[in-house]
Parts: sequence; C-alpha cells; structure tokens
Amino acid sequence: MSLIDDLKVGATREELGRREALGKMAGMAIGVAGAGTVFTTIRYLRPNVLFEPPTRFRVGPPSEVPKGTLVVMPEQRVYVGHLDPGYFAMTAVCTHLGCITRYMGPEEGIHCPCHGSHFSLTGEVLGGPAPAPLPRLHLEIADGELVVDTRRIVDADFFLEA
Amino acid sequence: MSASDFEIVAGDDARKDPVRVVLVQEDERPVVDLHEDPMVMTVPHLMVREVITIIAASLFLVLVSILFDAPLEELADPQRTPNPAKAPWYFLGLQELLHYYPPLISGVILPGVVIGALVVVPYFEINLKREPLWTHGRERKLLSIAVATVLVSIFFYVSAPHPVWPIIGPTLFCGGLMMLPGIVGTESRLMDWFARRSLAFWIFTWFLITAVILTVIGVYFRGPGWEFTLPWRDGVY
Amino acid sequence: MGTHAGSDQTPARPLWLRLVDQVLASRVGRSILRHGYPNTNRNRSLAVFSNFFLHIHPVKVRTEAMRFSRTFYLGGLSALTFALLIGTGVLLMFYYHPSVPRAYQDMKDLEFVVSAGLFLRNLHRWSAHAMVALVFLHMIRVFYAGAYRPPREFNWVIGVFLLIFTILLSYTGYLLPWDQLAYWGVTVGTNMARSVPLLGDEISFLMLGGHQVDANTLVRFYVLHCVVLPLVLVLGVMVHIWRVRKDGGIYIPPEERRAAHRACRVEGESGREEA
Repeated sequence: MSLIDDLKVGATREELGRREALGKMAGMAIGVAGAGTVFTTIRYLRPNVLFEPPTRFRVGPPSEVPKGTLVVMPEQRVYVGHLDPGYFAMTAVCTHLGCITRYMGPEEGIHCPCHGSHFSLTGEVLGGPAPAPLPRLHLEIADGELVVDTRRIVDADFFLEA
Repeated sequence: MSASDFEIVAGDDARKDPVRVVLVQEDERPVVDLHEDPMVMTVPHLMVREVITIIAASLFLVLVSILFDAPLEELADPQRTPNPAKAPWYFLGLQELLHYYPPLISGVILPGVVIGALVVVPYFEINLKREPLWTHGRERKLLSIAVATVLVSIFFYVSAPHPVWPIIGPTLFCGGLMMLPGIVGTESRLMDWFARRSLAFWIFTWFLITAVILTVIGVYFRGPGWEFTLPWRDGVY
Repeated sequence: MGTHAGSDQTPARPLWLRLVDQVLASRVGRSILRHGYPNTNRNRSLAVFSNFFLHIHPVKVRTEAMRFSRTFYLGGLSALTFALLIGTGVLLMFYYHPSVPRAYQDMKDLEFVVSAGLFLRNLHRWSAHAMVALVFLHMIRVFYAGAYRPPREFNWVIGVFLLIFTILLSYTGYLLPWDQLAYWGVTVGTNMARSVPLLGDEISFLMLGGHQVDANTLVRFYVLHCVVLPLVLVLGVMVHIWRVRKDGGIYIPPEERRAAHRACRVEGESGREEA
C-alpha cells in the first residue's frame, strides 16, 4: 500500500490559517443549521390547533343548580355546586392520581373509585390517599348563564352570590 | 497440500509479536491486493468529502422544498375519475405500454421479464467478459446485428394493434450505432469508442433508452383519454 | 516529527477548544471516544475502527475509489435521501391519522395550520422522488462500471431488490394523502396486479383489503409504508453496504487500478523531492 500521508507533506502557515478559518466557518454553519433544525422540529411538534373541549363553557341558568346539590358536567369533568354561601365550580379530577371522581349525593359526598379517596361537597378531603382538596374553578354569570373556566383555578372561598 | 502441512509458530507474547495467518483453500477467493494503489487516511480525507456531500445534497433538497410545494388535489372521490388518471412517474413507462398491450403483458409479463433480466445480469458470461464488439468477424457480425435489429423492430411493429414506436425507435437507433463502426471503420475517436463497447453495453443501453422514452411520453405527452398531446401546447397533465 | 508546520507556528488553541480537549482526555471522555484527537495516523485509524458509525469504512481508502466522477456518490446519496425520508417521515407520523377522510384533513392541517408542516411534507415528497431516481441512477452506474463481477454478483441481486423495495415504499406512500391524485394513481397501479393469471384477483384482494381502494387499503398501505418496508429496506441496505466493504470497497476495474498505480509512483517520486 502506498499511503499518501498528508501529515508528512507539511503545510505552510497560510495554509494552516486558511484551514482553521474554513473549519471554523464550517463548524459554525453546521451549528446554526443544527440549532435551526432542533428549533423548527420542536415548534412543529407544538400543535397550533387543538380538538379538545373548550376550557370556557356554559353550564346553564343558576336556577338549574338546586341548593344543596352538585351538578355533574361529565364531558368537561367539572362539578358545579350551590351551597349556602353561593355558587361554585370545581374539578371532578381526583388530586391523588387523576381518576374521575363520582358524586354520590348530598349526604355521601364525592368518592374516587380508584383508590378510595373521599371528599365533601365543597371538595375537602375526608379520607383516603388524596393529598389535597379538589381545586376550585372560576365561575361567572354571562347573559344570565353560569360560565366555568377550567383554566382559572381560584381560592376555596370563591363563591358566586346568588 | 492441506492446512495440516503447516505449523503455526507464535512468540511467547502474542501481544508483542502478533501473527496473522490466512489459510486459503482451493475454491476460496480472498480479496488480494496485487497492486500498490495510492491511498489516503479515511479520517479526515473521506470524512470531509462525505460531510460536504451530505450538506450540499441536504441543502439542495431543503431549497427545493422551500421553493416548490408538493401537489395536493381535492379529497379522493371514488365516484369521479380524473381524466387522465396517471400513476406515479416511475410507473408511467408501464402505463404507456398499457396503451399498446393488454394488462397481462405490459403490467405483469414485461416488468417480470425486466426484473428477471436484471437479477441474472451477473450470472451471464457476456456481462462478465464484456468483450469489445468489433475485434473480429466483421461481415458475420454486421449481418447478425442487422437481422436482429430488423426482427425486433418487426416484432414490435406487428405485435400490437398499432406499432410500438417508443420501442422501435430505440431499437433502430441502438442497432444503427452498433453497426456504425463496422461500416465506417474506427479511425475517428468516437467510432473507436463505439467499437470497443460490448454487446452487454448495447443491450443495457437499449433497455435504458426505451425505458426513458416510454416514461417521458407517459409523463409529458399523454393527455385526456391517453391521447397524444404536446406539453408546450396543451400543458402537462 | 512532521505534524503540521511545527508547534511554534501553530496558533494557540482557543480556551473552549482546550476545554473540549480536557473533557475528551478525562476518564469519562476516554470511555466514550477511546482514541485521542485524530492528528496522528494512529489516532485516525483508531477513530475509524473504534467508531460504530465509521466502521463501514476501512482505515485507508484508495484515492481512485474516492473520485467523484467514478461513482457520483450515487449510493451514498441514495442512503442520505433514505435517512432524510425516515427523519421527515417520523415527524409527519406525529400528525397523520390513517383513516378516511381524516388523512386528507391532516394534509390540509399540515399545509395551513402546523408550523413547518408544509415544509416537512415537501421535503418528504421531493426526497422520495429523489431517492427513486438516485437508486435507479446508482444501478445504471454500477452496470456500466461492470461492478457486478465476481465476487459481487449477489450484491447486485440485493441491489435490484432494494430498487424494487424503494419503488414499493414510494408507491405505498403515494396513497397516504388520500387526495384524487393518490386515490386514482394507486387504483390504476393495483388494477395491473389484477391481470396476473389465476392469482390476480386474490393478490389484489389481499393488497387492497377489499375489492376497491378504500379505508382498509389506506391502513394496509400505511403499515407497509411506515413499518414493514422501511424495516426491510434498512436491513437490506445494511447487508448491501457490508458486502461492498467485505469485497474490498468500491469496484475499480483492474485496468484502471494499474493506471492509477503508475500515476501514483510518478507523483510520489516528485513529491519526495519537494519535501
């Protein structure tokens, strides 16, 4: 084998400088292209349009929620309640591991079928592994109807006066 | 001689004096370098070329993708066939043949024959030796090439309802080029080059020209009802 | 030692490069890349045969084999387009549902809603056309070079099947947008299969999952296009490249190797005088 050995041929100072400059430029170009590819790919993977149920939805007029009970909105996974202080909304998703809780009536309260957590009508933990009460959601009245916004979490003392 | 006739002797320290032994038995054909070819180190010489090729080709495809949008027509409608209904471009040579022959021939037998012919290429002596066509036997060769060309042309003239010009054309063209050095002699460099081509070269070239012509006609020169159109007059369907 | 033009002339390495050197020289660095910086022929050799991705190459290559006008790098470019197709294809799968008519709606979404969706679809489509053309050109180049000669006969056969699988991949992908072009293009193609004697109807029934191109066909073509055929092709390409490597690299006709050898000796002698 006759190896043409570029290490033995040697290079002039100019050649070395040119080699380094070209190498730097190539490295930078590859870096920019790589960063652009990563950015574009992540941007591509973030959907611009979602086919999920809207986060803000109408429940109906306040009169449809009788005092002392909860109304279940299964599609949006939300309870809307009417107690002494007023109207309120909270999520039906258990704070333990995300199962959908069940409303068992005004006396029984709310039960989670997965691991046996037990909540009161206002969402406080009465038993079981749930680490926190069910979060309250923002509720308002628009055009005479109750409107829930599942994106806005509110404090436990948030009630809408009748 | 057999392998047992040899004794392999290695030093005490195999790391220090490595011994590499190749036993070649009768029918085996190891790749042996008989010539001292000029060589370079793969890193960096080949690596640099590969990186440049990858970057250049990717850049080209990215530019094409920015400039030209992939076609998307309306939603598929099984009730409404567009006219003409064309397959992807690499099948349009076959679709063009459908114009001449029944589907059994142009859609099954001919592609099968082509694939079969390609598969067996390396198992035919003619493809391995590739001897120059015009070394000896001028008269006999001229005659047999002429006869073969005419027979193939006649076959494609009469075998279909109308003459298969996209095949007859390349047949006459290649047959003519094959015979040319035998007729005018090999004085010019071009004729000399033609004369040194082998029969395998000409058969493959004939197949290639035919495939390209059929595909180009299918892509550019066929319109509604698979009628002949001119792309510069009627556009591309 | 003759590396570069002598250490006194080399410009000082910038801080970040020295940091890279230090990381590579550390225990962790040596465990990842087992060789040093490739500035000696020993390290350059190690860089090739201790690297999974480079080991398809020999440590040294013939200058004749590297010449662009010999191969036009058609095999490598086919592999590159295939890699691009896998990359863009996987990304497109994130938004694509193989069902009627959702598939078509997803195309429209990719075009108008998803960021860079149109670009990725374009890149996938044009790379696919490029790959079919490049693989075909690669075959033509190999034929004219006579590179199917022993011991490479079977690698040519593998290559013919790789071409067929490339066309099948492109063809199954052609249906997935579920537009008029896709639907009728595939209908015309599958009708040809129907004319196979005796088995034609059975083949077409199996291929389409029914008597005409419909939702079943879409799922079948989707699975073939995204799983079965790419797997077959990846495996085939691996065997194909492995055999090229085992047969001594790119084929160079014997007469050209002798010519190159003569040229090298002349060049080498004059080179020595200059040095």
